[in-house]
Amino acid sequence: MEEAAATIVVKGYALIGYGAAAIGPGIGIGIIVGNAVQAMARQPEAAGMVRTTMFLGIAFTEALALIGFVLFFLV
Amino acid sequence: MILAAESCNIIEEIVCAPSNVNDLFVFNPIFFIGEMGISRTHFLIIFAAIIVVAFLFFGLRKRSIIPSRAQSMVESLVTLVREDIAMNVIGRGGEAYVPYLLSIFLFILVGNLFEVTPLINFPITSRMALPLLLSLITYILFLIAGIKKQGKEYFIHLMWPPGLPFALKPLVGLIEFVSTLVVRPASLAIRLFANLVAGHLMLSLLLVSGYFFIYQNGVWPVPGKIPIGLAWYTFGIAIYGFEIVVSVLQAYIFTLLSAVYIQTSLHPEH
Repeated sequence: MEEAAATIVVKGYALIGYGAAAIGPGIGIGIIVGNAVQAMARQPEAAGMVRTTMFLGIAFTEALALIGFVLFFLV
Repeated sequence: MILAAESCNIIEEIVCAPSNVNDLFVFNPIFFIGEMGISRTHFLIIFAAIIVVAFLFFGLRKRSIIPSRAQSMVESLVTLVREDIAMNVIGRGGEAYVPYLLSIFLFILVGNLFEVTPLINFPITSRMALPLLLSLITYILFLIAGIKKQGKEYFIHLMWPPGLPFALKPLVGLIEFVSTLVVRPASLAIRLFANLVAGHLMLSLLLVSGYFFIYQNGVWPVPGKIPIGLAWYTFGIAIYGFEIVVSVLQAYIFTLLSAVYIQTSLHPEH
């Protein structure tokens, strides 16, 4: 029972760590999408190109959060 | 997950966690071919490949100028990969990579959509082996493309962009080396894998908790719990719709990033 409780505490810390790790990518994706929407609104004819680049940026930024998510399982 | 929860004593234990995360994902072989056991995952991988081939075969069997319904579906997907991904990103020389990009796009799309297919509900890309294999194929492909195009120069350009001051060479060289040769394939695989695992876990947690709040191990709970269970269940259904979007988007992103990596090998000046 002691061990199980300790595992739960460790998992809890891991969850807090993941939550902290998700802050940065969250802000980053917000900035990327916000600026992409602004760019599309200003120049609708470039929307296709902006969308592709936006997904690229999101994919790179999101990777950080996902690595945190995977590390949670490795603890 | 349901099995793990059912085998636990809900009165004495607080958290019904299995001792090891692997206990959640036991895959027994469903039938044998010789010595080799075929599990559900193996079967689904082959099934996904068959679906892709059948889709292309039957879509393009009777080609006509006025496309039939199936043909226009195939054509729109091919156009998406060809124009939006291959030609738009790679540019000159992108034509040669359209077959590869199209096949990984369709395969990952079908594999991801298994997550939200009723009665299957298991994304094959949430087993690390498959995304890792696909990303290694992309990795080898862009390395070969770079070596073919630039010869030995490729590795030098990879580490030091031309015009770099001498003092910065060790630092930039290390960063570029790690980011291109290690982080690229790893992040490509982990992105697909983690998105699908997260979606799968979220769906099963929400839907199963809806089930357990309403009906728990043959015991009907206090009526007050039923609204909570229904709320979880509704939330799970909403996430279900979201996961369809994620499945398609991840297939698109995997293909797009493969194209971007190939492009950086082919046209190093950008």
